[in-house]
Amino acid sequence: MRRYFFETLAVLLMGGSIVFFVECIHYLARREYVGAIIVMFIGLAVISVGREMARLALVQKD
Amino acid sequence: MEVLGPADASLGRWRTFADAVALALGANLWVALVLLPGLVSGVLHSGPAQLTAVLPLVVLGIGVWRRSDLILLFGFPSALLVPVAFAPGMANVHVYGPIRFAIVAVGLVGYLLGASVFTSFREPPPPLAERPLTSATRPMASRWRRRFRIYAALTAMSAVFPLILLYTINFDGEVRELIKLKYSGRVAAFTTVLNLGAIGFWVAIYAGFFLGVLRRHRTGDRDLMTSLEKLRQSSKRARPRPQFYLGVALALGLMLALLLMRGR
Repeated sequence: MRRYFFETLAVLLMGGSIVFFVECIHYLARREYVGAIIVMFIGLAVISVGREMARLALVQKD
Repeated sequence: MEVLGPADASLGRWRTFADAVALALGANLWVALVLLPGLVSGVLHSGPAQLTAVLPLVVLGIGVWRRSDLILLFGFPSALLVPVAFAPGMANVHVYGPIRFAIVAVGLVGYLLGASVFTSFREPPPPLAERPLTSATRPMASRWRRRFRIYAALTAMSAVFPLILLYTINFDGEVRELIKLKYSGRVAAFTTVLNLGAIGFWVAIYAGFFLGVLRRHRTGDRDLMTSLEKLRQSSKRARPRPQFYLGVALALGLMLALLLMRGR
């Protein structure tokens, strides 16, 4: 059960991080460079959290 | 007097065949890269220019005679650059149109592949008796299939990427217009710098990120095995690592910073 919970969280976080990257492009298009860099780092942080969830799901699977 | 057996005769025939193939491919490359451009651009009239034009053929002959991989795969292609460096007019873009460029590229890639395959190809003498190994009946291990796929991909990339880069620099209309606009009067010099830069860039990328990674992927590499074991141990922990907490804190902190920025 915990494995599926972690897997779902991993998919949501990794998929959700794409939203931040798309938003980063929008910021760049509006020439808001500081905002774009902040949003990009938010995306990277969310991906790293998702990666950790995926690792925990794998540990549960084993 | 030494009497050659059938195995020695067969080996000799294959070696002669390999030499003939290397010689033919090399001569084809010399004609396409040195002789024809030299005649078309008219730079082969002076004695020194003719001497430098003959130099690659001498190197090719020595390579075939010595059956040296180093000379055939490095010495001869390098020697081909000597007459071009001596008379740069031979490499003028007007001499090398897209079709000529394609012919020379195919000739160069064909020579390098042919020379590397045929010079290493030696038919072993026929065995006196045969006994199949048990491992020969098993299908090839997936790691070997994967490695062969990587070799094939590296071979393809080492041919395709430099050719596309060089083609784009020398023949892409937009790039040519931009160079003419920004560097009028220095187009040939700037194109040469770009060509050298593209080749240097590709060699660095290839050596660092493709071959470099593959070199570390050897079985039994102690450093790599230690790193993999550490990674395996850390991945078995059923608790989140510090990166998780750091990621959450960073994401929340940055979101807060963004909200504060937007609210101002």
